[in-house]
Amino acid sequence: MAEVLLQPKGKIGIMIEAEVIRADTLAKKRGEEIERLLVWQGPVQLPLGDFFEVEVRGTGQAEETVVVIEGDVSRVKRIGQGMKTGKIEILGSAGMHLGAEMAGGSILVRGDAGSWAGMEMKGGLLQIMGNAGDHVGCSYRGSWRGMTGGQILIEGNAQSQLGSGLVGGQIVVAGNVESFCGIRQNGGLVLVKGNAVRGAGAEMTGGTLAVLGKIKHFSPGFVEAGREESPKLGDLQLEGKFARFSGDYAISKNPKGVLYCKEG
Amino acid sequence: MEAMLNLFVSTRGSGKMMKEFLLNTGSTIEEGRLAKGGSKLTEDYTQECAVCEMNPGDFQDLGSPQKVKITSRDGRYSVAAYAHPEESIQSGQVFMPRAIWSNVVVDPETFSTGSPLYKGSPVQIEPTKEDVLSAEELVLKLYVRS
Amino acid sequence: MAFKNIICPVCGASCDDIQVELRGSKIVTKNACKMGNAKFWEIFSPHRIREPLLKESGSFCTALWDEAVDRAAMILVKAKRPLIFMGSETSCEAMQVGLHLAEFLGAIADSNSTVCHGPTAMGIQEAGRVGATAGQSKSRSDLVVYWGSNPLESMPRHMSRYGVYPRGYWTRRGRFDRTVITVDPRKSITARNSDLHIQLKPNTDYELLSALLTLLHGKKPHPSVEKVTGVSISEMEEMLERMLGCNFGAIYVGLGIASSFGKHRNAEAALNLVKELNNHTKFVIGALRGHCNVAGFNQIASYLYGYPFGLDFARGYPRYNPGEYTAVDVLREQDVDAALIVSADLVSHFPAACARYLAELPVACIDIAPCPTTMISQVVLPGVIDAMECDGTFYRLDDVPVYFQPFTGSPFSFTDSNEDTMKQIFQKVKEMKR
Ligand code: SF4
Repeated sequence: MAEVLLQPKGKIGIMIEAEVIRADTLAKKRGEEIERLLVWQGPVQLPLGDFFEVEVRGTGQAEETVVVIEGDVSRVKRIGQGMKTGKIEILGSAGMHLGAEMAGGSILVRGDAGSWAGMEMKGGLLQIMGNAGDHVGCSYRGSWRGMTGGQILIEGNAQSQLGSGLVGGQIVVAGNVESFCGIRQNGGLVLVKGNAVRGAGAEMTGGTLAVLGKIKHFSPGFVEAGREESPKLGDLQLEGKFARFSGDYAISKNPKGVLYCKEG
Repeated sequence: MEAMLNLFVSTRGSGKMMKEFLLNTGSTIEEGRLAKGGSKLTEDYTQECAVCEMNPGDFQDLGSPQKVKITSRDGRYSVAAYAHPEESIQSGQVFMPRAIWSNVVVDPETFSTGSPLYKGSPVQIEPTKEDVLSAEELVLKLYVRS
Repeated sequence: MAFKNIICPVCGASCDDIQVELRGSKIVTKNACKMGNAKFWEIFSPHRIREPLLKESGSFCTALWDEAVDRAAMILVKAKRPLIFMGSETSCEAMQVGLHLAEFLGAIADSNSTVCHGPTAMGIQEAGRVGATAGQSKSRSDLVVYWGSNPLESMPRHMSRYGVYPRGYWTRRGRFDRTVITVDPRKSITARNSDLHIQLKPNTDYELLSALLTLLHGKKPHPSVEKVTGVSISEMEEMLERMLGCNFGAIYVGLGIASSFGKHRNAEAALNLVKELNNHTKFVIGALRGHCNVAGFNQIASYLYGYPFGLDFARGYPRYNPGEYTAVDVLREQDVDAALIVSADLVSHFPAACARYLAELPVACIDIAPCPTTMISQVVLPGVIDAMECDGTFYRLDDVPVYFQPFTGSPFSFTDSNEDTMKQIFQKVKEMKR
């Protein structure tokens, strides 16, 4: 097993873009090599070593490489973007595009994650212990096909447009979501344990969305399609009485989206 | 964001009357005339734009104040404006011409769109004796660090 | 001297029928509305900025032009990540220089169109748009919907020139041949002049649009929508019936759609509704663009760089991601460290957190009159008034380009137009970078 420790050196002014911080990119590199990798700050490229103290412990293949970021990197974007294997653990909060287009391996953030976390994710596990911004596990702007596989777990709350255009995979939010969660969803599964503000499942044509709390503005294009006791959604077993709706009839005459709302 | 869509919350803490409203900002023809005419730093502009229009019922509930203090959702910024009762506005909402006064309290969150909540920002409103500042005074007070 | 067919450079209507008479240092205009008039008077106004200004230890002193251009360029060259903000009340030609300058510097380029109809543009990217020119709508539309817009106050001549009153080929009786519906939480003056006013609760446009679409798809909307929007399903049905019954419907969306909670999703739903209505009758949709040439930046940026606003050139190629590279967001997140602002008053029109950070930065601006943004700038360059003092191109609210010619010249010896000023700054930047 190999451990790469990255210790932020101080406050970061203009945000940096560091898609080089990937377990599979940093694997099998020496400390000096890692320090020389380039990140973007505005229009200039600077060595990673300008922003982080780097320490490498042990050796190992990419799969057994763990990158530990020992502090707050909320002004560092694109960490773990496109990662295929290995593990990243962030002890603080992370900036935008965390684990976007990730295909394998795992990322754990102890703090919050910025917007666009897990955008168009294909596989692997993204776990956010704090809150997440907008567009978690969503599609690229203008596209209707978002995340296709893998798993996103959020312990806190998420903002708007979570899981937009979801095709496959699974997103579970322990807290609340804001608006348009599961918009344009056409496959996969979203489970929100808390409340949703509005637009839950809006423009949905397929897949499953379940909300255990309250939805403030219920999407008008959902039609009641029955009741279920403790439904099983994929490998997730829900407890209690649920109303099942199909929709969204605002987007199509024949939508196949399913929305479960917990009763009582 | 939960609190965002709560239309009307009345708190009567510390003997003070404070209410939550949804702020709608927009153009008015006189604001347009003065702004396009380069008169943003004039008294006319202040009289036209440092204004908070509200439903007559809400206006009365606040004690028919001459001036009100409007505070942003996060409590970080506030601004004083002249209160005007206005029939066309529904209870729980207020309207301010789009200008520096209203924008002080507009929510800067853009929901990843680049455009802030010029319409529908939650604000707190209470009667005030504070002076209504001119655009120039407001910039010096709120934005320019000496 | 009298001039005819002058273009008004104030709002998105780009009225092209203004008559101007210059009598010494007085100006008399015909046909322009109140707002338009006010700007024509600016030519001789006493508060016009007539000299370059530099801030020295907190207060402004007049400066030589070259010195001021130098300082503006220096601000940009020294910055790690500058913001080039092109306001809308200037020509496409000036905007083009601004965009190229941003590309050269690896900067962020943005404009008023972002905080105006940016979300509408994003909605169009999601859903596509069925549109028409203003002339089409004038000749054909027998039903007009002002959704979240109040043209009588924001585009005063829209109703009389394009929307409601004009007599077109198929609308010979003008107003009598048209049904007007207004959707607005306020009983605005436009709403009072409409045949039907749908007074929805603020921040519920998406639900109303979604319910209309559901009705169109033959289903009854979920009953909670009545409480959410404050509009009964029977009112929605009445509205829909009128819309389906027309021959040519035109929807004009305003900031009630683009700025309220829901943003581009509201616009997307409105565009979907129009697409769907076209299965039954002819319907078009367009944005009521408050500022003159606010459409121009979207057009120019799209054809030059592929994206309509909020462009980031940090990597040498354009990138677009509203919320990440847009002016309000980069200021709120303190992710730029200098700004060049052309013909726009960001300090007045941006939320406090953004205005306050901007006031801490080195800022150069080009403007015609003192305003909060000139107050916080280090360099103020006098602006030239497009369509009055120089020629150029605007895009009208319906994305039709309008070439304008001036009736007088630039009052300055050092610059002919804002385009010229921008080119001079760009030239200096290139020299300094060499
Ligand atoms: S409607 Fe607009 S373009 Fe026409 S005169 Fe008035 S301000 Fe000028």
